[in-house]
This record gives sequence, C-alpha cells and structure tokens, in this order.
Amino acid sequence: MPRALVIEDDEVTARDIVAELDAHGVTADWVANGREGLARALADGYDIITLDRMLPGMDGIDVVSELRKRAVDTPVLMISALSDVDERVRGLRAGGDDYLTKPFSPDELAARAEVLLRRRQRAGRDEVRLRVGDLELDLVRHNALRHGQPLTLLPTEFRLLEFLMRNAGQVVTRQMIFEHVWGFHFDPGTNVIDVHIGRLRRKIDGTGQAPLIRTVRGSGYTLAAAD
Amino acid sequence: MRPLTDAWRSATSRLIIIYGALFAIWCVVLLGVVQWEASRYLSSVVDQMLAARIRYLERTEPARLRDTVDAAGAIDSQGYMWAGLFDAQGHRLAGSIAHMPRELTEDGVARPLNAGVADLTRVGDAQAHHGTARTRAVARTLPNGDRLVVAKESTAIDGIGVIIRRGVLWGLTLTLIPGLLGGILIARGPARRVRAIQQAMAPIREGNLSVRLPVGRASDEVDLLAATVNATLDEIERLLGEVKGVTDNIAHDLRTPLTRMRTRLYRLQQQFEGRPEAAQLDDCVAEIDTVLARFRALLRVSELEDRQRSACFERMDLGLVLRDVYDFYAPVAEDRRQVFELDIGPLPSLRGDRQLMFEALANLVGNAIKFTPDGGAIRLAALTASTGDARIDVADTGPGIPPDEREAVFRRFYRSDDTRSKPGCGLGLAIVSAIVRLHGYSLSVGGNERGAVFSVTCPAA
Repeated sequence: MPRALVIEDDEVTARDIVAELDAHGVTADWVANGREGLARALADGYDIITLDRMLPGMDGIDVVSELRKRAVDTPVLMISALSDVDERVRGLRAGGDDYLTKPFSPDELAARAEVLLRRRQRAGRDEVRLRVGDLELDLVRHNALRHGQPLTLLPTEFRLLEFLMRNAGQVVTRQMIFEHVWGFHFDPGTNVIDVHIGRLRRKIDGTGQAPLIRTVRGSGYTLAAAD
Repeated sequence: MRPLTDAWRSATSRLIIIYGALFAIWCVVLLGVVQWEASRYLSSVVDQMLAARIRYLERTEPARLRDTVDAAGAIDSQGYMWAGLFDAQGHRLAGSIAHMPRELTEDGVARPLNAGVADLTRVGDAQAHHGTARTRAVARTLPNGDRLVVAKESTAIDGIGVIIRRGVLWGLTLTLIPGLLGGILIARGPARRVRAIQQAMAPIREGNLSVRLPVGRASDEVDLLAATVNATLDEIERLLGEVKGVTDNIAHDLRTPLTRMRTRLYRLQQQFEGRPEAAQLDDCVAEIDTVLARFRALLRVSELEDRQRSACFERMDLGLVLRDVYDFYAPVAEDRRQVFELDIGPLPSLRGDRQLMFEALANLVGNAIKFTPDGGAIRLAALTASTGDARIDVADTGPGIPPDEREAVFRRFYRSDDTRSKPGCGLGLAIVSAIVRLHGYSLSVGGNERGAVFSVTCPAA
C-alpha cells in the first residue's frame, strides 16, 4: 500500500486530502508545518508528498528544494492558493512534480496523486511500447495498432493517446490532459478537450471493438481495457 | 513647430498679448494728447508773434508801409517769417510773399497754410514758385483796401509731432518687444508644466490609475489643480479597488464552499449512478462547474491586471504559438464544418510569454469559432506590418461587432445583446486585453457586419 505525506497547515483541507487519498488506497500521514514535514519526508520513505505552498515555519518552496538538494526524489504535488503561472513555474522549478491550485476538488487531487504514483512505479523501466488490451502504442516507431490494425493519428492525437495509456485505468481530468498534452496551464474551457477526445475515440473505438475510452461524468476520462 | 503654437495658445500668452495691445493703445492715446496739447501751445505762440507783427505793421504810417513790409521780410528771412502787402486785386505791392495765399481770409485770425507761402527771398529756389513748408499766416485788410499778410513757418510744431511720434515708436518697441519676449518666457513655464501634466495623464487615460500628476512646490493655481486631480484620482482608485476587491473577494471566498459542495454532489451522483437522480445531480455539478469557471476567469483577469510587466519575458516564436493554437482549435472548427485557415508570414523576433500569448489567442480563436455559424470561415494570420511590427489577425464570418460596441467588448462581463444566447461569461476578451497590455502590445477590433477582425500588434523586440 503506497504511503503519502500530507504537509498542510489548514486542518479542514488536510482532512479532505487524507480522506480522499485513503479512499484511493493510499495511507496518508498529516503534518501541519514545513520544518516537521521536511524532517518526516527525509526520515521516512514516502511514495508521494502533497505540499502546501505557504506554510508556517518553512515555506513550501524551501521544503521541496531542500528535499531535492538531499537527493530525495519522492514525487511532490504542490498545492497553493496562488494560481499565477509564475508561482506554478517557481514551484515546479524548485523541484515540485505537479502543481494544484486551491480550491480543488478532492478527485482532482486524487487523480493527480495517482498519476505521480504511477510514474514513480514506472520509473527505471524504459518503455518503448504501451499496451492496453488490444491497443498498442510504439513510442519509438511512433505508430499505433488496434486489434492489429494500424491507426492514423495526428501528432496531437498520438500524444493524447500516450498520456491516456500511460495512466490507463486512472481517471484523468480535462485540466490534467490540457497540462500534460499541450503543456499549458490555464482554464481552456471543457469543450475543446472533449472534441479532441471525441476524435481520438472515433479513431480507436470506431472500428467495432469494445470502447476503451470512457467518460467519467463530472470528472474526466479514463482509458481501460474492457473487462 | 508645435511647442511655439502651444505657447501662443496658452492662457498666459493670450493675457500678455491683450495686455500688450492695451498698453500700446494707451501709449498712443497718451502721447497723442501730449502732441495735440504741445502743438496747440506752439501754434498759439506762433499766432501771438504773428498777431504782434501784423499789429505793428498796421500801425505803421501808410507812406512807410511798403518799406517796412519789405524790411520785415528781409529782417526775418532767416527766421522764416514773411510779410506781404497786396492791393485789393491781389497784386503784390511789397514784401517777400510772391502772391496772396488763396486759403487766407482777411479777418486777422491765424490759419495754417498747408502749401506754405511763395517765398521771394529765395530767388532761384524752386520753392519760390511752389511755396515753403507748412506755415501759419494771418491777413488783414487795411483801411485803403490793401491787404497785409504775415506768415511764419510752423515746421517746428510738426517737428514736435515727429519727435513725439518717434518717442511713441521707440517707447512701444522698447517696452513691447522685451515685454512679449518676457511674456513668452513666463508663459513657457506653465506651458511646460501643463505638458508634463498631459504626459502624466496619458497612462491614466489608458487605465493605469496608479499614476499621479506632478505637483510643484510653488502651490500656485496649476499645483492646486494638479493636487485636486490627484485627490480625485486617489478616490477613484480607492473606489475602483473596492469594487474590484469586493468582486474578487466574493469570487475568492465562494470558491471554497462551492468546491466542497461540488465534491458532495459529485459523491452523491456516483452513489446514484444509473438512477434518475444521477442525471439531476450531474446537472447540479455542471452548474457549479460553470460558476467556478467564471470565478476562475474573474480572478484570472484581476491577477493579470495586477501583474507588472514581466521582466523575464523570453524570446518567443510567435509562429509556433499560432500553430499550437491552430492545432488546438482545428478539430473544433472542423466539427462545425468551418473553414479554419492558418497563415503565418515572416515574423520579427518578439519577446513575450508563450503561455500567456497562447491563452490570449486561444480566447480570440475560441470566440471566433463560437460566434461564426456552422460552415463559416475563421482565419488566424500573423505577418510583419510595414512598420516592422508583427500583426496577428483573428478574423471570422460571424455577425461582427457594431462600431459602438468595439470599446466595450474588452470590459469585464460585457456581453452584447446578440451574444447573450451563447454560453460564456464575457470575461474572455478582458483576459485577452489584460495579456496584450501586459506585453505592451495593442489590441483593436475591426471588420463589418459580415465578420469581426481582432488584431494584435506586437512591436518588434
């Protein structure tokens, strides 16, 4: 069972985070200040850390840069009330792996935490081929097969599919898709991402096979092999 | 020569000109009166001399009169006084005057002779026939019918006039020229200050309410005015800040409870999955998402507006940004059977924030697609204008924006009547406008009823 360290000074938010992670099968410990959080993160081997940007004792940015300085590579999900792009860049530059703006819905947090955990499990393995059910993606040759049939994908569609397949079985929100596939960090409005997903869906699920991409209402999308 | 015309136009300059003109008129009137008085006095002196002389000649015995008249003329030939004796028919009997002056009446009253008298003392002189300079003369009829004329040159009186006129001229020149020059110098001070105020106002007009007018130490009218304007600006800024603060605070504070509410509804919706309640809960979640998106957009506008122009703008490949925007929106346009055209010409090097420019252009293109009917056309183009600046155009074949709404569309929450039926919150263009301003670029809207064209002009770095 993966373990998470929640460094968060607001008790209500902290309780929400802990409950949500718990619901997703992640055991979470809560620490309310930066200095103690840093000590715990250094001492215990956590699988993921959620870190508030503004903390008493020690700033979130300082915590994460100190961790990285000491070669601790636990994925860090930074959480902040500061939504400015510059703040995000600062957080990621200091060593954060993802950045979430308050207020957030807990499922968004859980989705992001799972993506980070997944990436950590994958780390070290040099994947050249992704496979979900009968869908295959060759990252080197840059081609995709569904049920042995080649698919013609545009570069954007390829990147979108790669992101979905890397996180197969996980819910990814539209905001996460926009950030990871396009690399931008503002609110794109929901319908554009839906249109892109719709096209990809027509290409990979349109040939009579069992659909792989599923819409999770009120949250996002998930790609998973049909049971 | 704008500064000069400005100086002429200034209030001080006008005052100086009016004052100068009044001064000149007063000078002329004053010296005119002096001249008139002086010449009247000098005329009366001449007239008394003439009267004395004619009385003396009248009292002379008739037998000796001719000799006396001749002698009088001779004696006074250097003093420019003439005497003449004529018979009733006007023939000369004696004296230095060639013929009886026609303007003269024999009543013993001195009169000016503009043509002078025909002087016999200067024989050979052209004046003997044409008369002397201006004179005053007096004539009387003697008891025997002969007529006696005495004349004296009056150029001295005119000379006084000339001296006084010259005095006026010099006086005016010496007073008015330094006066006007000094006036222009004095006027330039306030003009410069007014220009400084104008310059200070420019950013305020563009919406930067943090700028204040320069206030000098003189505490004069200009300073008082500037201080009053500054106080007004303080108040406007405070009020605007309050309004913005209130909206921002509402948006900010409501986000947390709304997010929590959304989470609960979302959990409920998942529990009811497959039952009719689920669809209703789904609608609730969607509504809250809309509100949250609006709050996010509102706070985003504020955040962008509060941001200082970033010193860490990097070299930006605008063509790449456009291509990204195109790729992002092409499927959306295609779904609506719209022709989406991308046209990138050679572009100058630019400095900016790629993320923000993508956001701005995405908003413009998103709007263009939204307001263009199915089957219409959208064009995204960037080229180098003749000025060397880059120009980005986002053109559509939607209903266009009426000219009287073109300023307003960039305001927060502004939605034209035609667009209220479309989804959206009227904040997209406010975001675009804030990003463009942050970059020091400029944004304009044109087009006609067959479509709108949004243009962003980016000065080359």
